[in-house]
Amino acid sequence: MNKQTPTLLVRLWHSLWTTLRHAWAKRETVSYPEIKRPLPGRWRGRIVLTRDPDGEERCVACYLCSAVCPVDCIHLQATQRDDGRRYPETFRIDFSRCIFCGFCEEACPTLAIQLTPDFEMCERSHDELVYEKEQLLIEGQGKHPGYNFYRHAGVAISGKAIGEGIGDTPPVDHDTNLP
Amino acid sequence: MGTMRIDGHDIPFQENDNILKAALAANIEIPYFCYHAALGSLGACRLCAVEVASVDPTQSPRVVMSCLEFARDGLNVSVSAAAARQVRQRVIEFLMINHPHDCPVCDEGGECHLQEMTVACGPPYRRYRGRKRTFTNQYLGPLVHHEMNRCITCYRCTRFYQDYALGDDLGSMRLRNEVYFGRFQDGPLTSPFAGNLVEICPTGVFTDAVFRQHFARVWDLETAPSICPHCSVGCNTLPGARDGTLRRMRNRFHPELNRWFICDRGRYGHQYSEHIDRPLTPRVRDEKVSYREALAAAAEQIKAARDKTSGLGSTREDLESNAMLQTLLNKLSGRFATFSDPQIETATVAAVAALQSSGGAPSLAEIEQADAALVVGDLTAHAPMMDLALRQAYRAGAKLAILHSGPSLLARFAATTLTVPPQEISAHLLRLHEQATAAPTAPTAPAPSNKHEKELADIAVYLTAAQRPVLIGVSETMAVPEIAAMVQLATALGSRAKLAYALPGANTYGTILLTPTTSTTAMLEAIESGQIQTLIVIGNDPLGDARLGTRWRAARRHLSTLIVLDCVATATAEAADILLPVAAWAERGGTFVNYEGRAQGFAPVFQRTEPLPNTVEVLADLAHCLELALPDAAAVLSNLFPGYQAPLPGTLGSALSAPPLTMQTGTTIGPASSAHPGHWQVALASWYGDDPLASYAPALMELAPAAAALIHPTAAFKEGIEDKKQVRLRGPAGTVVLPVQLNNDVAAGTIALSRVTLTQLGVGHGDLLELEHIS
Repeated sequence: MNKQTPTLLVRLWHSLWTTLRHAWAKRETVSYPEIKRPLPGRWRGRIVLTRDPDGEERCVACYLCSAVCPVDCIHLQATQRDDGRRYPETFRIDFSRCIFCGFCEEACPTLAIQLTPDFEMCERSHDELVYEKEQLLIEGQGKHPGYNFYRHAGVAISGKAIGEGIGDTPPVDHDTNLP
Repeated sequence: MGTMRIDGHDIPFQENDNILKAALAANIEIPYFCYHAALGSLGACRLCAVEVASVDPTQSPRVVMSCLEFARDGLNVSVSAAAARQVRQRVIEFLMINHPHDCPVCDEGGECHLQEMTVACGPPYRRYRGRKRTFTNQYLGPLVHHEMNRCITCYRCTRFYQDYALGDDLGSMRLRNEVYFGRFQDGPLTSPFAGNLVEICPTGVFTDAVFRQHFARVWDLETAPSICPHCSVGCNTLPGARDGTLRRMRNRFHPELNRWFICDRGRYGHQYSEHIDRPLTPRVRDEKVSYREALAAAAEQIKAARDKTSGLGSTREDLESNAMLQTLLNKLSGRFATFSDPQIETATVAAVAALQSSGGAPSLAEIEQADAALVVGDLTAHAPMMDLALRQAYRAGAKLAILHSGPSLLARFAATTLTVPPQEISAHLLRLHEQATAAPTAPTAPAPSNKHEKELADIAVYLTAAQRPVLIGVSETMAVPEIAAMVQLATALGSRAKLAYALPGANTYGTILLTPTTSTTAMLEAIESGQIQTLIVIGNDPLGDARLGTRWRAARRHLSTLIVLDCVATATAEAADILLPVAAWAERGGTFVNYEGRAQGFAPVFQRTEPLPNTVEVLADLAHCLELALPDAAAVLSNLFPGYQAPLPGTLGSALSAPPLTMQTGTTIGPASSAHPGHWQVALASWYGDDPLASYAPALMELAPAAAALIHPTAAFKEGIEDKKQVRLRGPAGTVVLPVQLNNDVAAGTIALSRVTLTQLGVGHGDLLELEHIS
């Protein structure tokens, strides 16, 4: 009889005991999709475009998300409204390419683009995974309620003239030299 | 000449260089905002601080502004010294105090000098928690967008606009930390060079209002070295395109031509390629067809007509396209011409012959060095960058003389202005020649008929006294006698005098070398006598010609087929039987030959979503359908011009060696009879945004002056015409009713009219016109 035999038997019994113990342990597996796990709020799933507290689009089409995207899955074209407010004319995310890295969310200076805890995006063709702006834009403010970029920026839009932003002084009258 | 040390490196410098200039030339980066090679040093931004070691070792080193300190031999400079770094950081921090939180919505973002400098030497976070100063913005017209909050007071805008381009409607206002750069009142900027503010502003105060409509970041733009297609100067440009559309135009440095700047026509005229009416689908009669079908239809017609086919090239098509069309017609034994107006053809031949025989035209850099200049015609409208070069000469003290018939923006800076009816220009030039050749001591025989004798004498004095005189003519508004008279004058002034002509298209010089003599008249007559059945037109608009449009439209009825290859919806393209849309210049490569005879290549910048073939490809395909063996463009050109090498895009261009042309002096040089009772002479009142292509650029055309009949106040008073009163003008092609506008820059007995009005009337520059009062 080999010298190592008792040790091996102990090990074998140990693993059998562990298996037996886990047979009565609490189950981690859930039967998805009937049961869905709660996901943490910062989970990086489907990308949305949010609105500011006034209900206007937050995205100002600055192109930073498309610049930072490592897989080049964001395509947009900027345009502007008559009042000077910039917005994306088109905004397209190819989710069949997206790796949900969250760089776009980090790059976004207006907190418009946000990743949500939703990963259920199964489609039968690639085309259906290309989301247009209508599919991306949601009604709410997402994770960052209260932030309104145009209240902090120096440009004028309808409802906020020059000098009416947060931390701005009233505009200088450049037609006079009086202090 | 000398050597100084910057951070341990020996840096050579030229006489009168400052430290910053020498460092930048040696690729050492000293941060700066307000310094500009064309505008010099000002010391307004305080960013270019460096530490200079004192000669006396007991004294501590001091921080100086490198743009204000002359480089000296043995100077020891440190860019990286802690004291200098701290000054730069504080300067940035102060500049950023009032800078708005605009980067996401600012068009400068990505190519912003302030952004780069802040990242390079500024503090990473804003410490200032106070409130920001704000400014209201002004409407500066359809080309430049104003966002004054972003200003860092470097004064580059006013230094360019007022000091360099000699504009007078943009300046600085107020004082202290409330300095404002703008106009006295809202309104479009009037300078033809206003678009350069976009490039010269180191931050986003002035941005491109046209690009703004379809904005894209600089990193998304496709670019390639290109040449401006709007005039004969051939400025180097850098177009930017995205998603199959052309978005913007920027200057590309060329040391002898445009250097740091381009005119507004070059910067904003490119939008013709995005015009809503641009032909994009081939058409056979009124039916939209595929490219192959259109080609087959064209080939069928040419086969039927055979040697009754002829071709009309164009001065705005590149050298390759014109040469290919000429070769194709040689194979078919058909006629080839390039101009729609024989008068402009002969004038251009004369001008190019004069340029060839005078030993080459001066480059813009040489024009800037002139100490006296004579300009014949409205140079600003025909070659704006030549005008900017002359403004530099004027700033340096050169005397300018302007001989013109209609309004000219350059006249403001002239020492002597002669406003002369078009038909009397040659007589004046001859008289000037007589005075310049006469010995300065002996008074010349007075010509009593000429009331401008004193002014001509003045001009003669400073042209003969000058070391580097330059004579510039606008060939489109000149006839052969005037061009010949200018050549005589240049010869009389000797070899130090330089002669240049602003020609009427980007490739006029190259095209005229391919044009057979008096080919336009011959072609028109051949069409009218039925010797030509099929006409191939590339990039030309004979039916929309100002002087001969009516005759061409009548001649068109003798043609069985009109085949047009073009990228804009001209009158000819509209009337075409077979229309083959071709790529605009930014969508293809080619070669333009500028007014100096400098061949410059341009590269294809982008492809449209549905790519269009270029003219050369269409002609090659056509030849294939006709079963003709056509050599490729390179072979054609090396046959035509011995030793020809296609100039590479992005290089400085090369002189085109071509056999000399001969000037056709058919008409006698002498004073033209100016008495035409009841008739007025017509002068072309063009403006800087006006050429066959740029007139399809919507934003630029918003600035086009309203159609009016410009008349000199004295002439109007004599005729009893009041300002703003409607008059009826009667020309060969029709009548036009226009309001009168009194203008001191128009010659007596002359009506200055826009190009559009000339086309409606069917007259050209120097023709006669009847004016009727409307009671």
